[in-house]
Amino acid sequence: MRRVAAVAINTFRESVRERILVVAAAFGAVLMGGSVFLSPLAVGARQKIVMDVGLAAISIVGVLAAVFLGGTLVHKEVDRKAIYLVLTRPVSRSAYLAGKLAGVVLAVSLIVAVMAVVLAAALVLGNVAPRPAVFAAVYLSLLEAAVIASIVVFFSTFTTPMLASFFALCCFAAGSLSNDLRVFAEKFGGAGTRIAADAFYYLLPNLRVFNLRHEAVHDLPFRAVDVALATGYAAVYVAAVLCVACLVFRRREFA
Amino acid sequence: MNAISVSGVTKSFRGDMSLKKREVLRGVTFEARSGEALGFLGSNGAGKTTSIKIILGLIRADGGTVELFGRPAGCRDAASRTGYLPEMPYFYPHLTLAEFLEFCGRLSGVPARDLARRIDRVLETVDLAPHRGLRLKGFSKGMLQRAGLAQAILHDPDLLVLDEPFSGLDPVGRRLVRDVLVDLKARGKTIFFSSHILPDMEALCDRVAIIRDGVIAKTLGLDELVRLGEGRIEITARGVRPGTLAGLDECVSSAAPRGEETFVVVREQRFVRSVIERLYERGADVISVAGVRRSLEDIFMQEIARPAWPARAETPGGERSSEPAAFVGF
Repeated sequence: MRRVAAVAINTFRESVRERILVVAAAFGAVLMGGSVFLSPLAVGARQKIVMDVGLAAISIVGVLAAVFLGGTLVHKEVDRKAIYLVLTRPVSRSAYLAGKLAGVVLAVSLIVAVMAVVLAAALVLGNVAPRPAVFAAVYLSLLEAAVIASIVVFFSTFTTPMLASFFALCCFAAGSLSNDLRVFAEKFGGAGTRIAADAFYYLLPNLRVFNLRHEAVHDLPFRAVDVALATGYAAVYVAAVLCVACLVFRRREFA
Repeated sequence: MNAISVSGVTKSFRGDMSLKKREVLRGVTFEARSGEALGFLGSNGAGKTTSIKIILGLIRADGGTVELFGRPAGCRDAASRTGYLPEMPYFYPHLTLAEFLEFCGRLSGVPARDLARRIDRVLETVDLAPHRGLRLKGFSKGMLQRAGLAQAILHDPDLLVLDEPFSGLDPVGRRLVRDVLVDLKARGKTIFFSSHILPDMEALCDRVAIIRDGVIAKTLGLDELVRLGEGRIEITARGVRPGTLAGLDECVSSAAPRGEETFVVVREQRFVRSVIERLYERGADVISVAGVRRSLEDIFMQEIARPAWPARAETPGGERSSEPAAFVGF
């Protein structure tokens, strides 16, 4: 555990000291700032616009940061042979991957936290107290980013950063639509299509469970148990992906 | 117990665009005894780095066995007793030297209460204490090499595996690293290292294993190195007339007059007395007698100039199994 923490802290330090985090945070700030300036156009729904765009920005920036950091960090260490310093010590490859993932999630958490503070400040300045649903939505966006980070770390164990990022973004898109695809296949598809849709549904992450933005924006009730279930789902999914990544990574040679 | 036992290790790699495998190691066999310094010598592409990576568990051997302290290579027990300095090391540029060593110490399982003290000590050892707060991205190549040595010895390992430890160092740095390694050897640590800087290897090693074309071509002990190093002896004499050295063909390999002086090259140490006596008998004056020692470099160059031979040149006991007759002796 100490070794996982050491790799995680190192990864976090590296991420924080990379300019990409500043870029990601700036991108998020611009999105949210834009919503503040444009919101007067939406008569009577000003704070809803700020909240909607703000939460969407947190989700998008979180996922993009996870994809970028996860895709490059492992590959960079392998490419520059820094990984030799880690794997020639009493550190298992599983511990290394777990540490890398934890470091990426820590870095993404920092971005999400900063953006959440900015959003809360924007809401407070507009005389709207941030509702619990807003914080729940931010938390679920972080879980979503963690799931995507695990997927990109998995791909990065055997492919290039570009492909790993591409595959992870594909998984993000498909995971956001997997429920719709399944329903569509059930209504209009044949037996084969339904089986394929079912397989994708269970294999890909169901990212819909991490979307509480609608409830937060429109002040609709949400159940705490749903948030707890989403947390459990994310934990199980990340663990499963990490296990498969470890199986692949264990076989890898560093010639 | 041997610190490293490598027996019959084979390894092939497939090229990026080729289905055909290229055999890099063809039955490498050697051992590093506990407490000795074993040099690993070979030209580029001979299989040095591949062998080292297999020893460290970074890549798997296709065949053969590798053990560190009697445990399989790459296992946790073996790794915790090993320190490694890679060739052309890349260290995390975003970290300061102290943060980097702290990271390495944690990975190696150094107890938290000892870590700061050990970092202080190794920084003093490699003369980088004033730079502990600087980020590694600002370090010169020589400083990085010394930082690499610091991380390799931080957890006080029993075995040090060093790939080109003198690379990129200035003469002062080279001396420092050599002194550190001499000190570690005196403390009973096993040192296994490859280097192209042969005088340093010659000064440090108890034995040298020469790898060539994926097999251990020769393993030389210190005494054998000394014996092989006893090369020709040059006698400078004045007043040598034609016929002075007649009948000494088996003792003298050449006699070249240059002005009033003649340079006589004696084949072996044991013939020196006979040659000098003959020179005095015939009225010549001996001005100087100088031994021209063959360096490890000379021996290595002679070794790699020999024709290649089939795999498994040297068996675990050091006996040659399929050595061509031409190889025997220097």
